[in-house]
Amino acid sequence: MLQNIAIGQYVPGQSFLHRADPRSKLLFIVLFATLVFLGNNTITHSILIGFTLFTILLSRLSFTYILKSLKPVWFLILFTVILHIFMTKGGTVYYQWGSFTIEEQGVRQAIFISIRLGLLILFSSLLTLTTSPMDLTEGLERLLRPFGRIGVPVHEIALMMSIALRFIPTLMEETDKIIKAQTARGADFTSGNLVRRAKNLIPIAIPLFISAFRRAEELALAMEARGYRGGVGRTRLNKLQFTWRDVAIAVVAAALTFVIWWWRT
Amino acid sequence: MQITFDQVSHMYGKGTPFERLALQNISLTIPSGAFVGIIGQTGSGKSTLIQHLNGLLTPTSGKITIGDVVITPSQRIPHARRKDIGLVFQYPEHQLFEETVAKDVCFGPLNFELPPNMAEARAREALEIVGLDYETMKDRSPFQLSGGQMRRVAIAGVLAMQPKVLVLDEPTAGLDPAGRKAILEGIHRIHREQKLTTLLVTHSMEEAARYADLMLVMAGGELVMQGRPEEVFQQAELLRTLSLDVPETVSFISRINQSLPDKESLPTTLYREEELIAHLLERLSAPKEC
Ligand SMILES: Nc1ncnc2c1ncn2[C@@H]1O[C@H](COP(=O)(O)OP(=O)(O)OP(=O)(O)O)[C@@H](O)[C@H]1O
Ligand SMILES: [Mg+2]
Repeated sequence: MLQNIAIGQYVPGQSFLHRADPRSKLLFIVLFATLVFLGNNTITHSILIGFTLFTILLSRLSFTYILKSLKPVWFLILFTVILHIFMTKGGTVYYQWGSFTIEEQGVRQAIFISIRLGLLILFSSLLTLTTSPMDLTEGLERLLRPFGRIGVPVHEIALMMSIALRFIPTLMEETDKIIKAQTARGADFTSGNLVRRAKNLIPIAIPLFISAFRRAEELALAMEARGYRGGVGRTRLNKLQFTWRDVAIAVVAAALTFVIWWWRT
Repeated sequence: MQITFDQVSHMYGKGTPFERLALQNISLTIPSGAFVGIIGQTGSGKSTLIQHLNGLLTPTSGKITIGDVVITPSQRIPHARRKDIGLVFQYPEHQLFEETVAKDVCFGPLNFELPPNMAEARAREALEIVGLDYETMKDRSPFQLSGGQMRRVAIAGVLAMQPKVLVLDEPTAGLDPAGRKAILEGIHRIHREQKLTTLLVTHSMEEAARYADLMLVMAGGELVMQGRPEEVFQQAELLRTLSLDVPETVSFISRINQSLPDKESLPTTLYREEELIAHLLERLSAPKEC
């Protein structure tokens, strides 16, 4: 049932993207997001699409699987497309019906916006698909470390994030199991009106909360028992290390920035 | 109800990089009224197998027949028929949610549209079977019980639906020996009285030996052995390669037999502890014929 929602889940592998330093990947995504919004014509958008396809190839993951990450947001994309088609005016009028018009600029913007959203989502899911939660949070912690000086609890934030990421699959599994157990007792979650359906969630929600609290308590105990006392003085088993891959990423980043800058109008 | 599996396979996460073939071409027949012991190492597919019985998982290929209900990849089990198959999950106490024990046990019967007074009568019966007193337990919160009591309440919640097929996934894991025995004896009793077809997943060879009259041995998603317990236990070597073991009684018999002359050896069908003890006592008290 629920295991089909594997979106954003780390898929272990040995590709270039898998082995690149998470810090480079994070920084690259920030840059890519900026570039996506700098692009403003057909050429820049084609370049960005081409580049994304190339990156997907580089990850050696199945294309259809990555495309699935668009599934939860296609509604959002559709919504913005419709909004733009009907609201944005300018250029040739393609279609008119009373005071209703579809104009060139509207269609153009609709296409561009959907491409941008799609690319951003594909790219960020590539990050989570190729980076283990541990690496991801460590990368983030290292990148945000300077903010620690002005009192931001960087280590705690990173720890919270890694625990959350770590427990998402566990809680999904747990939910799946509880749904099954209650279904076996005749609970029906798929029929009835909205109020009834909401009520039917109680047999799932309560056991789930209880188990989440129990897990949290056990985790806290286990961490303390093993001597955890915050980030101060804590060392790492596997230190992040920049390699030639990260140099390559930096070069590609510079090149891409230049190309987009050159072709945008 | 008779249960048959015909070339059933199941794959988790089909179409994702996490694909995993958890069941492979399982074919089996369980006659109506049988008590079936399912054993196998961790991860061998036991839980996956039994979740097919009431349609919580549908096979990726193959066909399952339970009584007159047929389940195939495209054909699901009708909701109303689910009550015929009672499934007790691993750690069933994690599914408790109601304010009181009585309400929680009634959850199943009420879902299948039983009138409240009948549901209550069934809850009473079910709690007695698992060895809890209805009057003292009914108004307590399930979350204030001990682990073993919670387990019993959860099992009662399934028994109260009065299923015709009872499936239990390690119902006694993590309980004390006395509690294990009490629960299993209760289950065995209603199995006989109500002529149920019962499937018991267990890691304990002793439990399987004691109650089962048919054994299924799973390994790596395949069914590697099925047959009467004495047939299965005779293949001690094969069991050992699957990291399983024979019950204490069976290894006791084979060790005694090594030092006994052939015509005096103990029959291997005596894998049930009581029968073995009775047999030994009889032999020892019988006058020696020289
Ligand atoms: N929801 C799931 N998604 C993906 N794979 C699963 C899922 N549930 C089980 N599996 C896999 O299927 C295989 C069989 O699991 P199953 O739970 O049936 O084993 P089991 O025999 O019940 O083990 P145990 O004795 O530990 O309960 C395992 O390899 C497991 O990793
Ligand atoms: Mg299991």
